[in-house]
Amino acid sequence: MRRKLLTFVFATLVALATALLTASVAAATNGGLTPVQPASPNASHTVTTYWIIVGFTGFIFFLVEGLLVVFIWKYRSRGRARTVEGPQVHGQTRLEIVWTVIPVVILAVIAVVVFVSLPKIADAPASTNPIHITVEGHQFYWQFDYPNRARSINTLYVPVGAVVDLKVIATDVIHSWWIPALGGKIQAIPGRVNHTWFQAERAGTYAGQCAELCGVYHSSMLANVVAESQAKYEAYIGTQAAATIGKQEFTGVCATCHGNLAQGGYGPNIAGNPTLIQPAALETVLRYGVSGSTGAMPPVGDTWNPAQIKALEAYLKQHVYTGATS
Amino acid sequence: MAVRSEAAYPVGWKNGRVASWLVTVDHKRIGILYIGTSIFFFGLGGILAILMRAQLTTPGEHLLTKNSYNEVMTMHGTTMVFLVVVPIMAGFGNFLVPLMIGARDMAFPRLNALSYWLFLLGGIVLWLSFFAKGGAAHAGWWSYPTLSENAPWASPGHGQDYWILAIHILTLSSVFGAINFIVTIHNMRTAGMTWMRMPLFVWAMETYSILLIVAMPAMAAAVTLLLLDRNFGTHFFIPGHGGSILLYQHMFWFFGHPEVYIMVLPAFGMISEILPVFSRKPIFGYKAVAFSTLAIAFFSMLVWAHHMFTAGLGIGLDSFFMISSLVIAVPTGIKIFNWLATTWRGNLQFDSPMLFSLGFLALFTFGGLTGIFLAAFPVDWQLNDSYYVVAHFHYVAFGGIVFALFAGLYYWWPKMFGRMLDERLAKWNFWLMFIGFNLTFFPMHMLGLLGMPRRVYTYHHGGLWEIYNSISTAGGVLTAISVAVFVANIWITHGLRKGARVGNDPWIADTLEWYTTSPPPPHNFDSVPYVTSARPLRDLRRRLAEDAT
Repeated sequence: MRRKLLTFVFATLVALATALLTASVAAATNGGLTPVQPASPNASHTVTTYWIIVGFTGFIFFLVEGLLVVFIWKYRSRGRARTVEGPQVHGQTRLEIVWTVIPVVILAVIAVVVFVSLPKIADAPASTNPIHITVEGHQFYWQFDYPNRARSINTLYVPVGAVVDLKVIATDVIHSWWIPALGGKIQAIPGRVNHTWFQAERAGTYAGQCAELCGVYHSSMLANVVAESQAKYEAYIGTQAAATIGKQEFTGVCATCHGNLAQGGYGPNIAGNPTLIQPAALETVLRYGVSGSTGAMPPVGDTWNPAQIKALEAYLKQHVYTGATS
Repeated sequence: MAVRSEAAYPVGWKNGRVASWLVTVDHKRIGILYIGTSIFFFGLGGILAILMRAQLTTPGEHLLTKNSYNEVMTMHGTTMVFLVVVPIMAGFGNFLVPLMIGARDMAFPRLNALSYWLFLLGGIVLWLSFFAKGGAAHAGWWSYPTLSENAPWASPGHGQDYWILAIHILTLSSVFGAINFIVTIHNMRTAGMTWMRMPLFVWAMETYSILLIVAMPAMAAAVTLLLLDRNFGTHFFIPGHGGSILLYQHMFWFFGHPEVYIMVLPAFGMISEILPVFSRKPIFGYKAVAFSTLAIAFFSMLVWAHHMFTAGLGIGLDSFFMISSLVIAVPTGIKIFNWLATTWRGNLQFDSPMLFSLGFLALFTFGGLTGIFLAAFPVDWQLNDSYYVVAHFHYVAFGGIVFALFAGLYYWWPKMFGRMLDERLAKWNFWLMFIGFNLTFFPMHMLGLLGMPRRVYTYHHGGLWEIYNSISTAGGVLTAISVAVFVANIWITHGLRKGARVGNDPWIADTLEWYTTSPPPPHNFDSVPYVTSARPLRDLRRRLAEDAT
């Protein structure tokens, strides 16, 4: 009687836990049961492959867990003494062969499915003329180089429908480029060049973030991809990028540690620091970083071109620096 | 307990209550020291886990700072792998292998003691690194360069150096232990115990030892090069000077993946011992289970780069490592089906070791299946380094290994200490842990699919991200309570002496460790029955029953 009661209590607890979980899942559409809504062919094909594997593994899951539950229920001792033995079955060769061969077949099918979908995920459509963009992972921001040598920080602008080939690099530590709606990850490894691609099918902003631990601000290394019309894209890389790069550098690079007003945060307050208006000193800090007794600053601008550094100088002077002008 | 066998020893300071543990070379005591120390580190690693869960309940920097989160995350992983699972398996192995094969001790008792004390030293070095200049290591338990290099913006200070030193010490400990196990198993089996009559846990410890000897040196070499880079001006992993970061990734994972099986194979071994006893049946397919252990060990050395699918190795290598990773699912599946078949038509006794074993079976199966998604490399490009991976390996490492460990603790506890742990609390322990575990780790699959990378101290979305993270934290608290119940159980059993004393064989088991007293005398056995099958104790019971009639 007591045993039954206990079983009942346990069963209820498990049921409650399961219900809580399912409810939380059902609370929203696509509550994380599949990768996020894809917006690029490689991402959609990944989701398709994912679902096919869900099919096979789901079958095995219900088979094994189902048998487990049935056996637990059916062969429970029902008060039989511990000394009562079950049938002394030591094995069954034919069964062993069956449950070796069937998984082999299932796994082979999964491998075939992967190889069939692989070209659609790994390779950009061949006929198109892709836009080549270099993505540079950096502590703790993303820098994008456009074909016309324009640059932007943290937000990548691309035309809707265009195939974009990304050359992914880094100079300091490993980062990992990941915009879930636009396909999988690829690591940005110092000393290596990796490639990935996407083709934004709808206009919109797609969010992602660095996926490889890269230091103290790893969690803040966010990236956005803005897909917009060809005209807007051309306007952006034509004039807007250059016009706003100083501001982008401050908000996307400096402000991460020094705060939006340079008031200090993880890094020190630099709002009144005269280095901000001394071009030579500023450039040294940006290119080589700082390693002092109180803390270190990574060489955030070691790959910046002179125009970028000038733009930051101008922005700092006009919008950030609060000290006396000499 | 009128006559304790220790009384036969000459009286001296070495027989003191504490001193006898410090100077012991008895495999059982060393085993218990290993297990106790590992459980202590499990508590410490668990506190780190709870800190991380508390930090991630809601977005923002409130409990841990960015810096300390990275330290806590790194130390949690390193502690759980190197100071909990690997050594606790060595502990169980130490206690059980000589008893199971009918030997008096391990082959090299002093080396055995050295292994344990090196393990403790390694643990102390690792944990003292919290007090090092610059704090503990914070580059993750992989410690990928260049983040782990000695640059001002990477890992300055000495935390990373302490981490490397700890790995070196623990490598020595593990390799010494592994040599000891192999020599013991090969040479000291009792009369009649052929390889095919050896308990499956001993098979698992043999394989564990071989893998340790093959894999640990790769890790030791990798961190040695890192140490040289950090302190002696070499550039093995610094690309600007001709080094290669990818080289470290290869070396680390050549160790890292076998390490997974180093941890999980002994857990499989425990399940293969416990399920038959509580099903009142022999293991289904002894040979299949034993040989699948060897197959897993072999293939585990060929799958390492499936941790590197996003490093851009190229389709050729990715394809090879996908196929080898899928292949390893076959022997794993064989084990699962054999365990299931073992319960078929049994007389299932739901004592706590059985509950944890069945929990293991349910959870490990799930963790194995999510691994197939990660092996399919185009899908892995989406899932790699996300919380999906965190969920996957915790289903294997916690749902699999830790559940098996609790099964083993509850099963062999009466043999180790002569008292039975309280069964009611044990059941509370199980159910709280089963529910808490699933609440903690199931939502992490969804978080990963939503786009949450691992190793972040915060996230920038509310809504589902926050809901799942909160559920996960609540589950973490429940899991912590379940562990507290276990500790309370030990206190009630031994501190308050409420635990019932047991005879030699409380579970009516099959293997030789149950032939001797609980706890066993220092010399283990006065005599060992001749072994004629994999279940010598059952044979003995039958012979005795026949004699009686």
